[in-house]
Amino acid sequence: MAGRPGTNQTSYSPSLKTQKGRPPIFKDGDTDWVRPDGRGFHQCRPAFIRTGAVNAASGSAYAEFGNTKVIVSVFGPRESKKAMMYSDIGRLNCNVSYTTFATPVRSQGSDHKEFSSMLHKALEGAVILETFPKTTVDVFALVLESGGSDLPVVISCASLALADAGILMYDLVASVSLSCLGKNLVIDPILEEESYQDGSLMVTFMPSRYEVTQLTVTGEWSTPKINEGMQLCLDACSKLAKIMRSCLKEATTTSQE
Amino acid sequence: MEIDRVDGRTANQLRPLACSRSVLNRAHGSASWSQGDTKVLAGVYGPKAGTKKNENPEKTCIEVIWKPCTGQIGGTIKPLVALFLTNKFDGIWDIIFTLKLKGNPEKEYEMIVKRTLQSICILTIHPNTTISVIVQVVSDDGSVSFMLLPCAINAACAALVDAGIPLKHLAVAICCCLAESGYVILDPTKLEEQKMKAFTYLVFPNSILSGLTEGSLKMEGEPMEHAIITSVTRGAMSVDDYLHCLERGRAASAKMSAFLRRSLQPQVSTDSSKAG
Amino acid sequence: MGLPDASGDLSLEMEVDAFRRLFPLRFYERHLAESIRPDGRPLGSARETSIAPGAVASADGSALAKIGSTTMLAAIKMEVMTPTIELPDEGCIAVDFHMPPICSPIVRPGRPSEAVPVVSTTLSDSISSSGMINLKELSLVSGKAAWMAYLDIYCLDADGAPFDAALLSAVAACSHLQIPAVSLNDDGKIVVVSEEDGGKLDKEHVNREKRKLTLRSIPFSLTCILHKNYILADPTAQEESIMETVVTVVLDSSSHLISLYKPGRAVLASTSAVQDCIALTRQRVRELLKILDEANSSMEVDKV
Repeated sequence: MAGRPGTNQTSYSPSLKTQKGRPPIFKDGDTDWVRPDGRGFHQCRPAFIRTGAVNAASGSAYAEFGNTKVIVSVFGPRESKKAMMYSDIGRLNCNVSYTTFATPVRSQGSDHKEFSSMLHKALEGAVILETFPKTTVDVFALVLESGGSDLPVVISCASLALADAGILMYDLVASVSLSCLGKNLVIDPILEEESYQDGSLMVTFMPSRYEVTQLTVTGEWSTPKINEGMQLCLDACSKLAKIMRSCLKEATTTSQE
Repeated sequence: MEIDRVDGRTANQLRPLACSRSVLNRAHGSASWSQGDTKVLAGVYGPKAGTKKNENPEKTCIEVIWKPCTGQIGGTIKPLVALFLTNKFDGIWDIIFTLKLKGNPEKEYEMIVKRTLQSICILTIHPNTTISVIVQVVSDDGSVSFMLLPCAINAACAALVDAGIPLKHLAVAICCCLAESGYVILDPTKLEEQKMKAFTYLVFPNSILSGLTEGSLKMEGEPMEHAIITSVTRGAMSVDDYLHCLERGRAASAKMSAFLRRSLQPQVSTDSSKAG
Repeated sequence: MGLPDASGDLSLEMEVDAFRRLFPLRFYERHLAESIRPDGRPLGSARETSIAPGAVASADGSALAKIGSTTMLAAIKMEVMTPTIELPDEGCIAVDFHMPPICSPIVRPGRPSEAVPVVSTTLSDSISSSGMINLKELSLVSGKAAWMAYLDIYCLDADGAPFDAALLSAVAACSHLQIPAVSLNDDGKIVVVSEEDGGKLDKEHVNREKRKLTLRSIPFSLTCILHKNYILADPTAQEESIMETVVTVVLDSSSHLISLYKPGRAVLASTSAVQDCIALTRQRVRELLKILDEANSSMEVDKV
């Protein structure tokens, strides 16, 4: 049992620290650069989504957008925690956590508090909470590998898992984010692009009702730019929702056969 | 072939055993058990109303709390905090990591003791109740606290008897060690244990003295006390070595169960005379 | 145990599903008497098993293992540490097992399952006592730097026998592991040699090429349920909840016994039952070795 870890041994990752400053490809004003993965600026990564990834859960979904890999499980509606007060409407409990190996440098794999509450806010408006009074629906997400745009992938995947669990919703929630790099807007950014971005925009959207459930903006934006970004995101969300819908349909037809 | 043991014991010889019951006033049942310089104290509370979540309410739930002799589980926190203050902030995760690891073995022992006690208790008599067993390590001769397990199980078993919890039979726990040469010794001390390549903990039921016919107490042609309740191993060994350990442990368990019975019996008679 | 007679009579009139729910133990015993399990398996055979190496790109080695619907994801990340004074030529491997709340309805955030510490220590014990990894291979510069391999195993779906799947995924991740090429920089730190400047800079190469570990005897395990005189190999979560007594046997590929773990519970294990479990595990080790070899060779074909 030699060499148990932990005891005042510190280790470091040998991978090169990200270089200071901006690499030449992201130069301001230069519109000729290509994205690291060869996509067009307004092109999303190929998405692979599938429901029923976890048998033990009431509903679940797995999503893979490029290198971003996420599993979401939904449990319930089930008994609320004893300490909770009586409530006429159902509760939504969200938790997002990362695996220790999700990020390029090993982390402790703890809960992501910020994403947990963002996920909650994004879904709250879409789930019909009145249909399960006094009980709780738990939405747990695990990011297996972080490859950029993690939160939007988690949100889209979670709404699919909720649908798989048979929780009533007004509509599927699709989410897409966008980075502002100099003068360019790049949709569905990867980790590298996110680390150099000047600003970001994330939209979670219910296409059939044409309603936005959550909108996050960081950085400095001009009005025309934010309009352009918004339109790009909404279009991408509608397309994503179509893929999600067909994924659900496929799952039900195969189960019926 | 013979092996020389530091304390002059033969390979099959156990360290001197001692057991006393009702050592604590407030607990519903208690016992202390010592083997050589290793001593463990066990207290039993209950059965009290209600079970914990995720436990079967149709049965008695057993809860085991393991208290190491160094006090708090996070006993290493002081030097680590000092290190954290003098060093850099990067270390904070390592501290938390170490603390988390510290808690792990105790949790595992709790689990093993709990499952072993579940085997000997008649759980259906008091449904929807909880029995708490607190295991306090008093002094420790084994270098890893893992070596305390047999001692803890024996103490807990005696404490359950003291608390009057209905039991199917008693359990006796023993540690067998396998030396590099393939030689088996029983009940190792701290010094011996470091030289060993593998060890096994075995828990056997004790022999039952009852009016039942011989046949009903046999399992597949073997007497019941030859079967194992719990087996935990560390280190690699061949299957034959394991079976050899099993045989040796079984032989020693007969002696131990006789001792356990002897040390529990006189008090039972005084208890009943008091009641009368 | 409650009402054996009542259930015996009712079984003739009741629907199968209702009988299954009301008298799960009776339901199972009926099947066991016919030497079959409700999912159609014979008593001694395990569920369908598959391994997918290289599931996570951000790790140096990873694998996804599936036994029935129990799913485990193991990944290894390599970091550099200063070896201890006692063992200057050895690296270190840190094993950690996680059950995130996604895997089972029993686990809630902040309240880990009680199975976690047991699986975690048994895993790290099995890996170290089988001697699968030669820790000397993890050395970089004697006394100065060595690899610290963080092996993290996540349970993605818990449906019985978590230890078996966890060990299988851990072993598969170790066989998939590629130790990165590194060199010593001017500050005395170890850095990864990136593809472009590989060869160009005349830094001191510590580990010139990506390499794999040589795995010596590989440990594999099988969990069995003991119920009366029956032995059920590779139980599902439902079987584990109805018949509680489990035995986990770990054998390595050279047939050494690495661990025989039976944590108490109602049924006692007679010597013959122990021997039967070991025999079943021997058979399973052969199966798993084949599955692992196939997974690794298909991986190599993909690369070419």
